[in-house]
Amino acid sequence: MESFLQWWETFPITRLFFSFEVMQGAFPVILKAFPVSLFFGVAAFVIAIPGGLLLAFMKMGRTRLVRWPATIYIDVVRGTPLFLQILIVYFGVATLPFWREMIVAYPWMKQPFLFGIDFTFYLRGLTVLALNSSAYMAEIFRAGIQSIHKGQMEAARSLGMPTPIAMAYVIIPQTIRRILPTLMSEFILLFKDTALLSAVGIAEMTLRAREFAASTFNQSAYIVAAAFYLLITIPLGRFVARLEDKLAESEGGGGARPDEDAAQPPLPPVLTHDHMNAR
Amino acid sequence: MSNKSNTPASAATKSHAAPGDSWSPTNGQPIVRICDLKKSFGAVEVLKGVDIDIKKSEVVVILGPSGSGKSTLLRCVNRLEQPTGGEVWFEDIMVNAKKTDINEVRKRIGMVFQSFNLFPHLTAKGNVMIAQRKVLKRSKAEAARIAMEQLDRVGLGDRVDYYPAQLSGGQQQRVAIARALAMNPHVMLFDEVTSALDPELVRGVLDVMKELADAGMTMIVVTHEMGFAREVATRVVFMDGGVIVEEGTPSEVFDNPQHERTKDFLGHIS
Repeated sequence: MESFLQWWETFPITRLFFSFEVMQGAFPVILKAFPVSLFFGVAAFVIAIPGGLLLAFMKMGRTRLVRWPATIYIDVVRGTPLFLQILIVYFGVATLPFWREMIVAYPWMKQPFLFGIDFTFYLRGLTVLALNSSAYMAEIFRAGIQSIHKGQMEAARSLGMPTPIAMAYVIIPQTIRRILPTLMSEFILLFKDTALLSAVGIAEMTLRAREFAASTFNQSAYIVAAAFYLLITIPLGRFVARLEDKLAESEGGGGARPDEDAAQPPLPPVLTHDHMNAR
Repeated sequence: MSNKSNTPASAATKSHAAPGDSWSPTNGQPIVRICDLKKSFGAVEVLKGVDIDIKKSEVVVILGPSGSGKSTLLRCVNRLEQPTGGEVWFEDIMVNAKKTDINEVRKRIGMVFQSFNLFPHLTAKGNVMIAQRKVLKRSKAEAARIAMEQLDRVGLGDRVDYYPAQLSGGQQQRVAIARALAMNPHVMLFDEVTSALDPELVRGVLDVMKELADAGMTMIVVTHEMGFAREVATRVVFMDGGVIVEEGTPSEVFDNPQHERTKDFLGHIS
């Protein structure tokens, strides 16, 4: 065993990237940061859902006054790098007078909140991630809602349901079923994107790995961090694939009649996704 | 559009001055009245002035070649299409008046579609219950009881827990009929309800419709089923090019058509 470890460390690649000794040291450090990354991913995702729904309905709105702000927002957010958005929001917000006044007025915001990180970090980090993700989700929701056959709305309305009731009980439940895989892929993307928060000093996995790598002159800590990301993304990705198969089966299998098939528009391209390449 | 007047153009002598005061289901007045109805989609005029009165318990079958405006006419009755001219009256309510709460009208007008439009995420029972619960605010137990009753009535008492995807087209269409009936509609609209069905499944749906007619339901039926029209209709209306060309009892229209276009159409069909 001893001789194997010595032999392993003789190659630059294994020594610099896969050193067992360094990985052993990095493991507890990154394990401690794992919940931070997960929390930012999950919390931003949850916050982005209502935001995305709101934007989706705005974009489908009847008047330009409602449609345009949503369209502009979605285009700008999806058309610029998340990293840039993080820098703008994170450092931009801190220069606003109201922000300083708020911190003076509420000193607890500067106290450790969760995982020893103060509240202002959460406020800015979550805001930018959720704002970003809501733009992507808006398109997912919109495409999902518009993929529901218009006969569904007509049937609901013909029974006397007002539009909001028809939306809530007829259209949205079908939409959720249909977009669930895409939505989960969006979560995978978002979870990976939390790594960008390391640039503004939020102590999630990538930042901890960077610190560890810098102090050991060795890249192995990054490999540990990578393994932690994969721990979430690979099982979830597999689950999404299974879910899609099941969905394709239940929607195709003996359900719709030929006429309905013809009237059903194909799923818009935004619903096709490959979570490794989508951004 | 003469929206300001509450009186239908072609029935000015009837006392409909104030909605709610004179209409009664028993005094022989029409339950649905369509006066000079016009509908355009962009530059295309689909309905060019249609007049029909439909009395309680009448079964009016609308025939005509495709593109003649039959479906559009039907969809104007519950305002799935907004008329561009004329008036549509349901009982004492002017359907296409701006101030009309259309949901109040739709509660009492059942509609069945060519493509069924069942809600795929709900079981047969769920499909029949949802509008009872959310629109009529019936209790869960009552909605369930009525759903069972109506599904039984259309011969699907043993399929209540099936999802639409697990039912045949004919069964789905019968669920759709039960869904509409559960709202206790005063009028039922049928829009080519058998056109998407395999031939062997058409019979079951038509049987349900015939029973409904025999039970006294007021029905407006757009169909290509001539046998059904002849057997069940109290009146047949033949439309072409956005107008009513001819109307009368089934034997009048089928056995002794007056108009050249009607003869031509019936000749092609049979």
